[in-house]
Amino acid sequence: MRFYFLFISFCLTTGVIAQEKLTALEIVNRAQDVLRVKGVQAVSVLRIIDEKGRERVRKIKQVTKLYDNGETEKKLIRFIEPADVKGTALLTFDYNNKEDDLWVYVPTLRKVRRIVSSEKSKSFFGSEFTYADMSPPSADDFDFRLLGDEKVNDVLCYKVEWKPKNDDVAEENGFSRRVTFSGKDDFVVRKSIYYDLDGELYKELIVHGIKELDTKNHKYRYMNSEAINKQNGRRSTFVNEKIEFNPDVDDKYFTTQYLERE
Amino acid sequence: MKDLSENIIRFRWGIILLFIGVTVLFALQIPKVQIDTEIKSNLPKDMPSRLATDRIDKLFGGTEMLMVLVQTDDVITRETLSRVKKLSRKIKRIKGVDKVMSLFDLQSIKSENGMMVVDPAVKTIPKNAAECEEIRKDIMGNDLVYGSVVAKDFSLTAIIAMLKTNTKDEEIVPAFQKVIKEVPGKETVQLGGLPLNRFETGTGIRKDMRVLLPLGILIMLLFLYGCFRRLRGVLLPFIVTVMSIIVSLGIIYLIGWKIQMVTVILPIFLIAVANNYGIHMIAKYQEDNIPSNNFSKKELAKRMFRSLGKPVLLTGLTTMAGMLCLLGHIMVPARQLGILSAIGILFALSASLFFIPALMSFLPRSKPVRSYLEDNYKKKPVIERLLWLFGEVISRHPKKVLTVLLLFTLVSAIGIFRVVVDTNPNSYYPPDHPTVIVNNLIDEKLGGSQNVAIVYQGDIKDPKIMNKIEKTEHALAKMDEIGTTISIARVLRMMSRTLNDSTSSHYNKIPETRDGIAQYFELYAMSGDPDDFNKLVDFPREHAIVTARINRTSTAVLSGVIKRIKKMVQGDPDVLLVGGFGVVLSDLAEAVVKGQLLSLIMAIGICSILIMLLFGSFNAGVVSAIPLVFSMVILFGLMGVFSIELNIVTALLSSIMIGVGIDYTIHFLWRYREERRSGLDAVAAVKKTLATTGRGITFNAFSVMIGFVALFFSAFLPVRFFGFLVVVSIMACLIGALVLVPAVVLLWKPKFLEEK
Repeated sequence: MRFYFLFISFCLTTGVIAQEKLTALEIVNRAQDVLRVKGVQAVSVLRIIDEKGRERVRKIKQVTKLYDNGETEKKLIRFIEPADVKGTALLTFDYNNKEDDLWVYVPTLRKVRRIVSSEKSKSFFGSEFTYADMSPPSADDFDFRLLGDEKVNDVLCYKVEWKPKNDDVAEENGFSRRVTFSGKDDFVVRKSIYYDLDGELYKELIVHGIKELDTKNHKYRYMNSEAINKQNGRRSTFVNEKIEFNPDVDDKYFTTQYLERE
Repeated sequence: MKDLSENIIRFRWGIILLFIGVTVLFALQIPKVQIDTEIKSNLPKDMPSRLATDRIDKLFGGTEMLMVLVQTDDVITRETLSRVKKLSRKIKRIKGVDKVMSLFDLQSIKSENGMMVVDPAVKTIPKNAAECEEIRKDIMGNDLVYGSVVAKDFSLTAIIAMLKTNTKDEEIVPAFQKVIKEVPGKETVQLGGLPLNRFETGTGIRKDMRVLLPLGILIMLLFLYGCFRRLRGVLLPFIVTVMSIIVSLGIIYLIGWKIQMVTVILPIFLIAVANNYGIHMIAKYQEDNIPSNNFSKKELAKRMFRSLGKPVLLTGLTTMAGMLCLLGHIMVPARQLGILSAIGILFALSASLFFIPALMSFLPRSKPVRSYLEDNYKKKPVIERLLWLFGEVISRHPKKVLTVLLLFTLVSAIGIFRVVVDTNPNSYYPPDHPTVIVNNLIDEKLGGSQNVAIVYQGDIKDPKIMNKIEKTEHALAKMDEIGTTISIARVLRMMSRTLNDSTSSHYNKIPETRDGIAQYFELYAMSGDPDDFNKLVDFPREHAIVTARINRTSTAVLSGVIKRIKKMVQGDPDVLLVGGFGVVLSDLAEAVVKGQLLSLIMAIGICSILIMLLFGSFNAGVVSAIPLVFSMVILFGLMGVFSIELNIVTALLSSIMIGVGIDYTIHFLWRYREERRSGLDAVAAVKKTLATTGRGITFNAFSVMIGFVALFFSAFLPVRFFGFLVVVSIMACLIGALVLVPAVVLLWKPKFLEEK
């Protein structure tokens, strides 16, 4: 794995990639890899908008850091606004090869509780985003197919189809088919289209403001993204108001003791 | 009348072409008519319960669901659970399914070693008995599934599919049926839910229209031939009937209506009633057409019109008036049936008065009929002999006849107190029908098939409102008739049990502060499905819903529960509304009773007034109301005795009975007065009237009864009972007109019937 990352970085920096020869799987792996930033601190606003245009707004603080050579991503999310949920926090350890660990902190109870949950198709704080959108699913569970090139916002992209290898995977991730558009130069996914379990178009995820956070390793984050549910007309936006690269995030953030501190 | 009859002959070609043209025009509209099977459509759009239920749909998303029930000795086995999983997975892929709730999709939120574990209620298929027992234990502790998705005795589990709005029953139901076929096994698998009920109703309506119409027509043709023994006696009333059916069905599309379950009665009603006027015309023709009278064919046609024009017109008008009294119902299909049948009758009436004589004037005189040639009553057909007997008995013992009828009426009246109102669509079908079996199973094992919902409005995060919600849900859950309840308060309480240790003061409690509730909400959003949540609290957290499922089918019980619930929340400013399908059914029951009473009073009143006007006497109205009251008491008495419910179909009976049944009295009184005026004494006039017009009246009544017999073959139980009750009540009207009225007339000798 390590060699693979090095190889990729090498290719990127030297620009000797023979793009035509990339397989769909390679594109997907690259697309996931370019988002693995060593450490990030951000303040973001999640806007959940229902079919009538009514909004629910959540402002959150986020800290993430990679561990185990990028195999594990630890993440702390804490609510800043609105006032009634301020201080509520979530700590996740996202492992590559096993079920994630999840802890929550509820301020009124002054208590940390560990949550065990197996589903990735779950909504992220009641929005149209899912946890799967936030931390990409394991590539081993899907079959990929390169559908060709297509422009998204004037950027030429690889168009890749994802198909769950079996029903369990489909159900866990909540889609029967997904089409992603990864930029040909930076591999960042600019658009994803999801089809529900009966094959109907159901969601579109679009990202804007791609920013190279780690210029040395060519790692990216996008400033804002939007998920649009095509079936019920609801949509959600996720905007990073402030985002900075920090490979040296303090490890203490990712402990349950810290979770209890407001 | 004389001028008009001349004109009919003069413009006979025009009349014939006009009637044929109009019929063809309406026939072209029939293929465009659509079917409506929605139970809600029975109630007017501005009815509070319908508005409330629509509002709930808007606030909390569609509530439409289809259920697949898997039934066996014990559902917690490897084999059965595998089948349930396969079924639920395939159902999820059916187009139009929004969300599936089953043991594999609903969540279990539990506390385990200080952790909050969120998993599907059944995560994996068990491999051995020990694992089965573990799953069983888990389920018994899971409020969200135990007793609602799985029966408490584990003999049944449901896969519930919430449907997207605007799914078509005729697409989704067959898709479910296909999936059930694709996943075979030893368990009994059945489909249930309102969409299925509607689908079955639609199928039933189509079948009824296909079967009842030809059957009714066949019965009618045989009957007419039996009466008149002449081809024209069969064909002319028959043609008029078919024309009026075509017009009344065609107009459904032109007015922008749809065919509903109740509408299947329309063609049968017309088959039975629309030929009445023609029958009287033919009877008169045959009466005049005896060798001793040397009338020409034109003369015979004119006489038909002249002597019968007025009473036929009046009987038509009273029938139309009776049918229009169905407008006293607020039930939409009852009103539609009233208007459609009145239009059909209007057409049949005018066709009988103009079209038949016009056509007859072209036809050569037919061979005379036996009954008018025989003077010896013993050689006459049975009906004539019976009528002769009536005449003899009534004229000799009018008091005794009256007493016997009165006693009979009083005895029947006892049954009236046993009449039960029922609006449950379950009762459309016989007890062994799959729809009924499934609904009974849901009532018995899965918490109930009818729902009532209370919607709260305000800041739902406010503990004051949340506590009210909880209190209401508790009170509901305590009612015997309520199987399961659900509300956001229950979910919060469940969360409190998983977030806190059992020793904590927060354990099994709703958070005491607004922030606490907000944080629980947020937590649920993190770990649960927001769609689950949206069914309980709306997006801005301004409305919350408490839903209770009622596990009894009886409408009276349902109405009682709803009354209690409404009383319970009455005056609470935070309660926005009480709604749900249960409330719709209960309102429908109230509408049935109110409509019944209103239409009944209106019908008796209007018909009596029409008769008063015709005879120019107040007493005429009184005399004609007597047989109506008599028949009415017998009708409701028999409903009580035979436990036939008053429902959206049988509630239409009284109007039909009055509108149709009054005709017999009118015909009798009219002829009797004519005979009196021609110089006969009262007894002789009664005998003569019974022997002459009595025959027409009897044919007429039997044609109605026999016409409605076709309804015995309907797919719907209420329609079958309706057929039976029509036969009974028309019989009562006939006896009223041929026995009761003559006895009253002989005893009372009202002035308006005396010779001038």
